[in-house]
Amino acid sequence: MIQVIAALQPLLIGAVLIQAAGVKLAHRHAADSARRSALVPLVGERRAPVVYRAVGCAELIVGALLVLPPHAWPEAAAASALAVGFLGYLGYAHRAAPDSSCGCLAAARTPVSRRGFARAGALLAAGLLATLAAEHWLPTLAAHPRAGSAILLAEAAALVTLSPELDRMWLLPLRRLRMRLTHPLSGGSGVPLLASVQQLQQSAAYRRLGVLLRSDVREHWEEGDLRLVCYAGRYQGRRVTAVFAVPLLRYEPDAVRVALVDDATGATLLHIDSRDLDPPADDRPAAVPGTGPVAAEALG
Amino acid sequence: MDTTMNRRRLLTTAALGGAGIVGATALGSIAPEDAFAAPSLTVEPGAVDPHFVEGRVTSITGTMLLVTSSDSSLHSIRITDGTSIWKLRPTTFDRIAVGDGLYARGVRLPDSTLAAESVWVNIVNVRAHLAAVGRNVLHLEHRGQRIIGHIVPGTTAAVYNNTPAVADLSLLRIGRHVQVIGAWHPDTNEIDIATVYAAA
Repeated sequence: MIQVIAALQPLLIGAVLIQAAGVKLAHRHAADSARRSALVPLVGERRAPVVYRAVGCAELIVGALLVLPPHAWPEAAAASALAVGFLGYLGYAHRAAPDSSCGCLAAARTPVSRRGFARAGALLAAGLLATLAAEHWLPTLAAHPRAGSAILLAEAAALVTLSPELDRMWLLPLRRLRMRLTHPLSGGSGVPLLASVQQLQQSAAYRRLGVLLRSDVREHWEEGDLRLVCYAGRYQGRRVTAVFAVPLLRYEPDAVRVALVDDATGATLLHIDSRDLDPPADDRPAAVPGTGPVAAEALG
Repeated sequence: MDTTMNRRRLLTTAALGGAGIVGATALGSIAPEDAFAAPSLTVEPGAVDPHFVEGRVTSITGTMLLVTSSDSSLHSIRITDGTSIWKLRPTTFDRIAVGDGLYARGVRLPDSTLAAESVWVNIVNVRAHLAAVGRNVLHLEHRGQRIIGHIVPGTTAAVYNNTPAVADLSLLRIGRHVQVIGAWHPDTNEIDIATVYAAA
């Protein structure tokens, strides 16, 4: 049985290598993939596309030799050497350029991951196993069509699961299906604070005295069909609280009212009803994500 | 508690226009260009903004936060009654813990402490792929790293196609781009999600 498995490995490895070579040589974004890969820190930006294509040529030659007759063990040894090279490259990329793309089997940007290492290790194991083969894969497959196909399918499935580049083709659809069946995100209810803040920011009252506000939202509460939202501000040298009354269940920026209340005395210094102000001459600006609080890339 | 209720009642009455207004003229000019003039910028382009601090909280003494910035400089931040504090939602000073990251904006006092007007604790802004979804959890793929985003019922909001925020997250699609504003759990790859922006 081990002879059968060993004899089939060249077909599998050859197919993987030819696929990888196709991406490196024929894909229209091959040069971009090379520039995103970890080859850049290794050989320099200028030479990366050349080296990338050279690796593709090597993969194509070894892959073709493996798939086409006759059978010879040095072919499998060459494939093993390539797999060792891949492992070394991945190790280097993981250490030196963890943000770069693997550039392995697909043009999609895929960082080096444990699955990438496992796949290169599996290719190495298959290559070593293939050196034990006594004959070409074609007569072996013809002699054991069922067992041979099952082995090839199982191995191909294992390689696919170890390829992050191919997740889009099978894993994401499966997850989408599960989401459709189980509805894990259903159940949200109520009016988020952000909806009220967006509404008050669209109001004439906010446009009028937004420049007086010094803080983000300090507190908020609900009163009947209104949400009250407070900011700290400064008005004529006094510390004030700007309290906005925003319709809770309706989208009606023109109904937003605001009062400026002196923090020291509790006296109302100013009251503005958006309806009393002139409508803006131009279109209202749309809310833009990320313009609220200071936003920065993930900490740490 | 009573103080809070009384204060809220006062503010509510004021916002609804039920309170008498102290004559604005008694306080000085009411010309819009004076009362509503934007404060002038005092920072030179390219210079460090003295009214802004980022860093991790290293100690808390009274209402003073000692913060170490990412450039290793130390800053004292004073929290006042007027400071807004955000930690996933508008919250209170006692929710700030040692180890939290923060961004603070305020006024630099002569003794070089920052009197904070706004503090955002552990806030992160992540553009990522939605890789997988669990019960009240979004698994985000961010530059090859996995981020676990917890949905907080009652707080987490979704903004689809720049329309007003809603609480319904069920329109999110696996495999699509999302932008997430959230509160980081310090020293982990987990965040609580405040807002997720997506196309629907």
